[in-house]
Amino acid sequence: MRDPISLDDLTSNNLGTFKKINTSSLPVKYPESWYKDSLNKDQIISLGYYRELPVAGIKLKTISTQHNINCFETGIQQQLNSKILPNAVYIESFAVLKPYRHLGIGSKLLDFAIEKTKQHFVHEITAHVHVDNHEALDWYLKHGFQKDENVLKDYFKQQGLPNPDAYIIRMKV
Amino acid sequence: MSKLIQKKKVGAPILTNKEDENFYEALKLYDQLQHKKALKLVTASLKKNSNHAACLALKGCLNYQLGNKSEAEAPILKAIGKEPRNHYVNHLAGMYYKLIDNYEEAAKWMKAAVDNGSPNTGIIRDLAYVQTQIRDYKNLVVTRQQFLEKQPGYRANWTSVAVAHHMNGDHQQAYTTLQKIEDIIREHLNEGDRYEQSECILYKIQLIGESGLVEKALDQLEKDEREIKDKLAFLEMKGRYLLMLNRKKEASVVYRQLLKRNPDNVQFYILLETSLESASKPVEIRLKLFDKLASFYPKSDPPKFVPLLFLPASHPEFKSRVREYLLSQLKRGFPATFVNLKPLYKNLAKRAIIFDIVNEFHNLELSQFDPTVAVWTKFFLAQHYLYVNDLEKAEESINEAIEHTPTLVELYILKARIIKHKGDYELASAIMEEGRELDLQDRFINSKSTKYLLRANKVDQAIDTISLFTKLDKDAANGLKDLHVMQANWVLVESAEAYVRIYKNYVKQLQALEAKDEHEEGDKNIEEEKEEILENIDMYMGLALKRYNAIVKNFKIFFQDQYDFHSYCPRRGTPRDYVETLKWEDKIHTTPIYIRVIKGLSGIMFEIYDDQVRKHNAQLKELLEEEDTKSKKKSNGKKKLKSPKSQLIKKKSKLVPLVELEKDDQDPFGSKALSDLQNNANGKIMDILLELAKTVSDEDPMLKTPWEIVINVYLNEGKYVLALQAIRSLEKVMTRRGSAKSRLVGEYVLKLDESINKDTQINSAIAQVVSKSIIAAFPEFTKDAPDAFLAIYCQ
Repeated sequence: MRDPISLDDLTSNNLGTFKKINTSSLPVKYPESWYKDSLNKDQIISLGYYRELPVAGIKLKTISTQHNINCFETGIQQQLNSKILPNAVYIESFAVLKPYRHLGIGSKLLDFAIEKTKQHFVHEITAHVHVDNHEALDWYLKHGFQKDENVLKDYFKQQGLPNPDAYIIRMKV
Repeated sequence: MSKLIQKKKVGAPILTNKEDENFYEALKLYDQLQHKKALKLVTASLKKNSNHAACLALKGCLNYQLGNKSEAEAPILKAIGKEPRNHYVNHLAGMYYKLIDNYEEAAKWMKAAVDNGSPNTGIIRDLAYVQTQIRDYKNLVVTRQQFLEKQPGYRANWTSVAVAHHMNGDHQQAYTTLQKIEDIIREHLNEGDRYEQSECILYKIQLIGESGLVEKALDQLEKDEREIKDKLAFLEMKGRYLLMLNRKKEASVVYRQLLKRNPDNVQFYILLETSLESASKPVEIRLKLFDKLASFYPKSDPPKFVPLLFLPASHPEFKSRVREYLLSQLKRGFPATFVNLKPLYKNLAKRAIIFDIVNEFHNLELSQFDPTVAVWTKFFLAQHYLYVNDLEKAEESINEAIEHTPTLVELYILKARIIKHKGDYELASAIMEEGRELDLQDRFINSKSTKYLLRANKVDQAIDTISLFTKLDKDAANGLKDLHVMQANWVLVESAEAYVRIYKNYVKQLQALEAKDEHEEGDKNIEEEKEEILENIDMYMGLALKRYNAIVKNFKIFFQDQYDFHSYCPRRGTPRDYVETLKWEDKIHTTPIYIRVIKGLSGIMFEIYDDQVRKHNAQLKELLEEEDTKSKKKSNGKKKLKSPKSQLIKKKSKLVPLVELEKDDQDPFGSKALSDLQNNANGKIMDILLELAKTVSDEDPMLKTPWEIVINVYLNEGKYVLALQAIRSLEKVMTRRGSAKSRLVGEYVLKLDESINKDTQINSAIAQVVSKSIIAAFPEFTKDAPDAFLAIYCQ
């Protein structure tokens, strides 16, 4: 049987789908401008499909670990200080619709992320995970990420999440 | 179009004077499309001799070609008056009327040219096209024959004669003609002629069959088998003829062959059953047949589905088979599973079984399958609930589905439909939009979204939406012009209906305001508000009229477009398709969308007519009252506007680019079309309407809407006898539809009676005659007991 999972690019036509996946599976809100900028050429994005239905999406960017990302809003800003050379890839958003989890779609998208990381000649993927999001944290740890000792205080504060702290997670590739 | 001057000049004209010489010179230039030069010559000649008829006629055509259309007909009429037997004049007149699509006149003058000795063979051919266009088959036979005699070397000309005979109802002559050329040409056929040969043979056989000689048709078919390229048509005809001859066993062999070619055509299965006479046999035997067929064609749907149609719901096999059929589709994620099963839904018991299966599957088994199965199952359930009109449950199911997979476009389409059925067009449209935004390049939902926006009366937004898929000219505000070019009638009709709803809303506002006005006489703000509303009513009424008229025009074009086929099809050697096209064109106005158009137009026109009558009566009344008092008087209904406010003009000028249907549209809001109607003498509107309705009822007298229009027109005009006739025609339609004592008919009878009673000017003798005729036609009718009558006419 054909592999039910496939990946595809984001276009101006299915941007609405990407947005729908994020808004219906993530507790945080991305501003309209963030979606608009997703179509820029330098963006690293992929949609995940299960049996032809779009059910997952990931958006990445290159950063330097020296950047001081202390809250969600900074994390998803388009322009981080570009004088510092990037040395990692940062996961801005990563979502799989609930009924479609544990089918291997996330792993495919992570493979995509790893490949893109290598193409950019950097060797680290990093992200922030909400401390209460055990499902995500377990998933990342299972897939080779490690979490920092320290918790980042109030990372999700402006998003109004209860218990707004975040773990920083990293993986060497 | 035939050239006026033929290359081989048969007896070149002897030039007697300068004007004639100039005329032939100008003709040559005309044929070379050198219109300006030709006009110069003609004008010069006419200066010397203003009575030169041929020059006058040519001038008319040249004026038309050069865009001076208003000065085209006059010189032609003058020329005809002077020399009605001059074949040049006749020819030019014929060409002119063809150019303006007046085929009757064109045929008349082209015929005159031929009869008056035009040496031009092209005109005969043109005459044939024009005669076909107006369906004058009797004369067409003569014309095609005439042309054949001039050029017997082309098969197309023989085929054309045959088609003319056929359409004229003379199958025998048509057949003879075809057979003759077939015998002549048989020895001389090239490889490239083989397809034409095949088509002509099939046409010939079809003619034999149509004239009732089925056995002969079958014989011929088998004799000519080797020459027939269209194997599908061959087999289908063979099967049909065998069935007609009651040679069922042989027919069954043919249908098995056809199934082998295309096992997905359900028609072949049904015809196979007919030829095997299995439909009347016990279901077990039929089941066996279909199981066998299913094993031959495991990938085809019909052998699995057809048994579900004939198995009774109580049969033990039904449940297991339908379960297997539908669950296998759900598990594979077929979006169309419900649509596939819908034919079974007419049977209540089957419907219940299907629902139980899906519901149980949904509640108990979903976890064993991948998540897409769940969403398609919920989708199915929502469709089921919508079908049985349980809108609450339908909404619940579709919400569950959207919650499960919010990225699936189909779900939003269905949810919008459910909400639409609940009557909330605004919300329905918003949901459709939500779905559309998921995939902007999905053309289907784009169209749906457009339609739903129009249903919510958001015309501009709708046009913007569909404009994503139209060709946009530079600096065009939207794709409306392209939608007209593409003849997107469904958009136009939905727009027109939206405009009608919008203006009716304004009418309601106006009435509310007028009710208020009673108490606050002469309030200035209210007067201004009223004026604006009146302006809006006129604007949207005009726009509705304009969109409707655009569709009427498109249908005219559809009809005109067949013109080229009168020459093209015979040349390509496709007489079977050509005949079918002609028959189709004969009925194009019965297309549902056209019925909607005449219905919508009649609504507007009756309203304008009523308004005219009201105004007329008010004027009379005013005249009478003016004698008594000279105080200010308000007339009933819509008054003529004072000069519209500058604001309104500004608002409208901004709207122009959004609503115009061609560049520099002279009447972007249809206000001229509207005021033309409004200022028309009373009867004229009814005439226009009558013609629209008659066009349709002539093509198919078994449609309801045209008769209703005709009845109302005649009632308005006080032509009661004709109204009664139309009511009887409507009765036939309703009876055919299974309601013998239709309520609709009953109500029109009462309306007719009431109109007669109300009519103060009616001749009492006529009133008596009509009343008697009513009772003759509807014996249950008595004047004093309308309720009793309606109690009988209640279906």
